[in-house]
Amino acid sequence: MSQVESQTSKVSPVEEDQLSGAVVAEESDLLARLRAGDERAFEALVETHHGTMIAVARTYVRTRAVAEEVAQEAWLGVVKGIDRFEGRSSLRTWILRILVNTAMGRGGREARSVPFSSLGNEQDEPAVEADRFRPPGAAFAGHWNAYPGDWSSLPEEALLGRETLDVAKQRIEELPDAQRAVITMRDIAGCSADEVCEVLDISAVNQRVLLHRARSKVRAGLERHLDG
Amino acid sequence: MASSPDHITCQELVEQVTEYLDGALSVEETELLEQHVNFCEGCDWYLDEMRRTIATGNRLREVHVPDKVLQPLLTAFRERRQS
Amino acid sequence: MIAYKFLRPDGTSAFTGFRWNLPEGEPGGWVDAPPDLCRSGVHACRVSDMPFWVGPTLYEVELAGEIVEGRSKLVASRARLLRRIEAWDEGLRDVYTRMCADRAHELAFSVAPPLESWDAVIEPSFPEGPALLGFVAARIAEEISGAEAYRAERASQAGWLAERLGLET
Repeated sequence: MSQVESQTSKVSPVEEDQLSGAVVAEESDLLARLRAGDERAFEALVETHHGTMIAVARTYVRTRAVAEEVAQEAWLGVVKGIDRFEGRSSLRTWILRILVNTAMGRGGREARSVPFSSLGNEQDEPAVEADRFRPPGAAFAGHWNAYPGDWSSLPEEALLGRETLDVAKQRIEELPDAQRAVITMRDIAGCSADEVCEVLDISAVNQRVLLHRARSKVRAGLERHLDG
Repeated sequence: MASSPDHITCQELVEQVTEYLDGALSVEETELLEQHVNFCEGCDWYLDEMRRTIATGNRLREVHVPDKVLQPLLTAFRERRQS
Repeated sequence: MIAYKFLRPDGTSAFTGFRWNLPEGEPGGWVDAPPDLCRSGVHACRVSDMPFWVGPTLYEVELAGEIVEGRSKLVASRARLLRRIEAWDEGLRDVYTRMCADRAHELAFSVAPPLESWDAVIEPSFPEGPALLGFVAARIAEEISGAEAYRAERASQAGWLAERLGLET
């Protein structure tokens, strides 16, 4: 009942409060299976996290190919370290920290210098183009010229169909690396904001700015596809 | 950022949506945003679009890992037991 | 403590979709939620808050437990719906919307030169209903006389609702 009037509970990606107990139990079960050498469990683990690892690695190295190598190398680190994992963070956070350390260990030409040091002009990018709103000085300045679409009136297939998912995937792929890493962790992998900050070593404010820019662009892409 | 202590514009609202959904707005900001959504159909739809965008991300979770990536990892996993 | 709550026609909450236990002859069942202002807890409004939250149906709600007062709402840890306020029906909603629209026109033409571009927004907004028209009227008042006028307009809307609905302020 604690979520009775919470504004985040409508289509929230993860109901953390409700899930945390179940997640802990599931995770210790998974860990036991991994330590016992259950290959199916390991394969499922790779399939769950590999895409996120590549997205995160790409913020630290120059090319996708190197990011894939980094993810591969990090998995070997996971295999070696699984018996030493102490459960002080979630298994996912631990795996992603190994990934980040592996990526940062790639010195020289392959490494990028401090990918999150500055948000550049991301602060100034509007979520929605300014010309969608009544101009400054006009009556009701800042209100919609024309409303965005009502997606709840679309057939389910339009929103959840393969084509729409491909558009979302493509838009995420086209994002700047840091934005892609954050939206992948939050909305695809279902990480919490705190987890993203910990793994990427960024402030809560930067995390939110990156996520906001990323989600706004993906929404705009879906809007062009669905309403266009 | 808001131009008034009593209300926000649609243009201000679209920049607050991520903080709102994360529960990161202040109590006062949350009230003004919800008041706005209560009277503005366009922003109600925008908020719904944002929630559906997030839900779309959720559905991209399943990733097929190619065999050439998976097999060497499985081999390493197997060998770990024997070493 | 007695307060008020607007719900969708199907008895769900506008922001969360929470389905309320509706009163039928007797009060609906109690709902419990720890009050952390805005994040959880049951939201309700005082008479003076009503113009900000107007919606399709209106209920009288009894709040109990811990109650936190926000600027335009109350949040409580326990609540139950006591009765539907039948007077808030489609007919009265339309009368209220018309009253707000007429007031908005009156304000827009109360100055020289009249605020024609603001006035032009009023009738196209009408189909969206009472919440928007209340805002439009208050914004036009603010445009003419500043923030205090916005608040005064909201207070006068609350007074109108209290009187028509027979609620004590």
